[in-house]
Amino acid sequence: MKRMIALLVLAYKQIVRHRVRSLLTVAGVTTGIFLYTAIQTMQQSIAEVTRSESGEDTLVVYRENRFCPTTSRLPEHYLAEIRRIPGVAEAVPIQIAVNNCGASLDVITFRGVPPENLLAYNPEIEVIEGSVTDWKERSDAALVGQQFARRRGLSPGDTFEAVGVRVWVAGIITSPLPQDNNVAYVHLPFLQQASRVGLGTVTQFNVRVENPDDKETVAASIDKLFAGDSAPTHTRPEKAFFAQTARDLLEMVGFTRWIGLGAVLAVLGLVANALLLAARGRVMESAILQTIGFPRSAVAFVMIWEGALLGAMGGLIGSLSASLFFRWQSFTLGNEGLTLALNPSLGATLTGLVVACILGIIASLWPAFVASTQPIVTSLRKT
Amino acid sequence: MTAPFITCRDLSKSYRKGRNIITPLEALDLDVPEGEFLALMGPSGSGKTTLLNLIAGIDRPSTGELRIGDTELTSLSRGQLTAWRATHCGYIFQLYHLVPVLSAFENVELPLLLDKSLTRRQRRDRVRQALDLVELADRADHRPTELSGGQEQRVAIARAVVSNPGLLVADEPTGDLDRKAADSILSLLRRLASEFGKTIVMVTHDAQAASAASRTLHLEKGQLIEKATMSPNPQPVSPSS
Amino acid sequence: MLPFSYATRNLLRDPTRLIQKIGGAALVVFLVIAAASFDRGMKSVLSGSGSAENIILLGAGSEDSVERSQISTQVETQAAAGVRGIASQLGRPAVSGEVHYMGQLSIPGHEPAQALLRGVSPQAFSVHTKVEIIDGHFPNPGQVLVGRLAHLALDLDEEALLPGKSIRFEGQDFTVAGVFSAPGTVMESEVWFDRNDLMTLTQRDTLSCVVLRMQDSNGLSAADLFTKQRFDLELTALRESDYYAGLSRFYGPIRTMAWITALLISAGAVFGGINMLYAAFASRIREMATLQSIGFSRTALFISILQESLLATLAGTLLAAITALLFLDGQTIDFSLGTFQLALTGGVAAAGLITGISLGIIGTIPPALRCLKTALPTALRS
Repeated sequence: MKRMIALLVLAYKQIVRHRVRSLLTVAGVTTGIFLYTAIQTMQQSIAEVTRSESGEDTLVVYRENRFCPTTSRLPEHYLAEIRRIPGVAEAVPIQIAVNNCGASLDVITFRGVPPENLLAYNPEIEVIEGSVTDWKERSDAALVGQQFARRRGLSPGDTFEAVGVRVWVAGIITSPLPQDNNVAYVHLPFLQQASRVGLGTVTQFNVRVENPDDKETVAASIDKLFAGDSAPTHTRPEKAFFAQTARDLLEMVGFTRWIGLGAVLAVLGLVANALLLAARGRVMESAILQTIGFPRSAVAFVMIWEGALLGAMGGLIGSLSASLFFRWQSFTLGNEGLTLALNPSLGATLTGLVVACILGIIASLWPAFVASTQPIVTSLRKT
Repeated sequence: MTAPFITCRDLSKSYRKGRNIITPLEALDLDVPEGEFLALMGPSGSGKTTLLNLIAGIDRPSTGELRIGDTELTSLSRGQLTAWRATHCGYIFQLYHLVPVLSAFENVELPLLLDKSLTRRQRRDRVRQALDLVELADRADHRPTELSGGQEQRVAIARAVVSNPGLLVADEPTGDLDRKAADSILSLLRRLASEFGKTIVMVTHDAQAASAASRTLHLEKGQLIEKATMSPNPQPVSPSS
Repeated sequence: MLPFSYATRNLLRDPTRLIQKIGGAALVVFLVIAAASFDRGMKSVLSGSGSAENIILLGAGSEDSVERSQISTQVETQAAAGVRGIASQLGRPAVSGEVHYMGQLSIPGHEPAQALLRGVSPQAFSVHTKVEIIDGHFPNPGQVLVGRLAHLALDLDEEALLPGKSIRFEGQDFTVAGVFSAPGTVMESEVWFDRNDLMTLTQRDTLSCVVLRMQDSNGLSAADLFTKQRFDLELTALRESDYYAGLSRFYGPIRTMAWITALLISAGAVFGGINMLYAAFASRIREMATLQSIGFSRTALFISILQESLLATLAGTLLAAITALLFLDGQTIDFSLGTFQLALTGGVAAAGLITGISLGIIGTIPPALRCLKTALPTALRS
């Protein structure tokens, strides 16, 4: 153990002594791990909103064969019938207005809900600024999700216009449900009129079931009820709905997995390259160490420790920078009226760091072999 | 009496190493007549290589005067010094310092590339002459890795003389060679001084190498001490102060 | 000046390192080419899609996305009568009332896929002058006209949408009546229906927009005046080119993400490359000092190092360009807005070349500084 620490110290000295080389390597690892952590953050954010969980109890009732909120139109009177279906705990009609259905970072979404239903349906909403009472009293009032507010620099009392709708900010909310943090909740009749879909029509119904295990049964019952109507429905658990609707977004984020792999390979190559350079430059030194009495394994371990340290340094800076970047910037991707907030997570940050260390060690294996297997005599003879 | 070829007056060199100031040369005076083969000896750290580098124009003195031929080196700018070296000084290194990717011919040709007035043919002729002088004309196409140590040093000497400089400086030219190769190099240097009138300043640890020179000076702690030498063709000896 | 062969031979001194240099440069240049052609492709298909002479009348508040817009069917005739300066074709004003709808189409045996559907009348051709039917004819009720690249949007082979084939929409079958081309525009990945068919099937009695072709590019003010005179219609007028410019801005962040990704990976490659160059030149400090002592100036040495670097990076640039030509050029990217092609245009190639040259120069500076700034006596002993 003591010897390992001694070798670690030697490795650290090597890194510090070759400042330029180490700085360049660490800089390269930092950029690679920054990219990797950013992509991991995206992948994890997607997984959070699309991977179904057993405790999940929300269904989304949407118009069959429709994806963009502009095209999904359901009669508001479906609400009463949905509420009567066994297994339904609560249901709320929602009208959605979005500025563009395409996948991008700049999506603005309004959700129109009956004002008396919002908190009953979603009691976990927490008002952090302003008040719900103000919201209920004014017909053009909006409760703005925290990330949305941050993106647009909104505070209670502000007015803003988007999607052809002019609203007054009554409060800022936060909620454990990711969608809530990126939208502005307004009164349903107000939105129906402002967006000209007309009273009596909504985009979707969100349904809470009594027992999460009965999700599929309830969904099937709803669809069966309206199958023959002029507006047939397709009901799915909320996460599955996201997975099937925001396809462009998911494809784009899925594609970034390859970039993440590329970043990993780049980091591997970088550290291996730097260490090979080090091995070639330390031929005499390694030979002298062995002449003094250091076993080959010691020479190899110095190199491995170097790899781990370089990886750790770059990994720490890279993954922390990525997390801070997402915390500071509040990115939200949107598609088909659905939003995906890219929130930094401890998991993604730690993954970046661990991956960097592992890559550093893997990258050091070949150079360690090269450094420790040079024949002593020829190495000493070289100038 | 003709003026000396190399004149050093009150020559000093200091430099900073970490927090210390090192002064390998202090107020040194030296005269070297034209055509002399001078050996500089002394223990490590005595300043002999520093003096050699100053004379060769690859380092600048901190104070003092340094005249070589008609040129006061201390008054030259960096660019002028570089240009001066190309035509006035040939440097011979202990480890030859040949360019590994060039053949012997191309290594010798290098200094001539700096003279834009020469045609290709003229360059070729002069290179051949230089290689003939060092008896390596048959190895012109060989790369340094294909030559022995002694052969490499002879190519280096050919490179040093090809532009016909008046001054040759040699830093331990036989340090890396066996006795036989060393003798052949020293004999070549003697010939360059006596037959071709080159002024040669050589730094060496080897007393036997120094005996090939017409005069040997010892440096200790940056100061010169002369010790007389027997040579087959005694050169006029300048007094040193 | 040092001979050019000095530079070339030094490059070949260490074949492994040379391959690494060329490979690293090729990677960076390839990434820049990829990002540049993605950026250019998306921008140009959007800018090409809109004409400055066309004015779109759409529902106020829907300027971001025409699919959201709903306007009365009356607007078509009223605009034709009320807006001055509309161009005409064969005596008829160039006015096209359209329905834009993102819908799901399917072909038997294939997964259903989304595409942009446009309900048009024959007047559409007088307004969208870039559109040309290359096979078949304008659709009658029960038929569709497909864009040349529509098969890509639907993830199908080209043969699946040839005239005579059938597609299914909202439970009804439609026959492909023809194929149209509209080079450099998003319209090429659309499927065009007879307007009445589309309105019926999507259960709407409103249009999405009315497109007017004006006599010149100053027609906006006339259209704008119309919208203000007819406040009751709740319309907005904008130039078709401005509408697509807005869309381009909407997708701007995606393009920025592509560039940032390319630059991040490139930065990593550049760091690795400089590292390698540092090491490569460190072993030549003595050689450089020798050449200086012979009489070669630092400028001459710098130029020689520059030659070496540029040779390697330009070789990498060439490799990247060839790889891009083989694997990127002509590739279609299908995105929410439509389909665009990656193209290795002059601008993109220039970006790659500039990158290669910059790499060569950047790659020279650190090792050159290291080699040439050391004092000669010290360098000779290194």
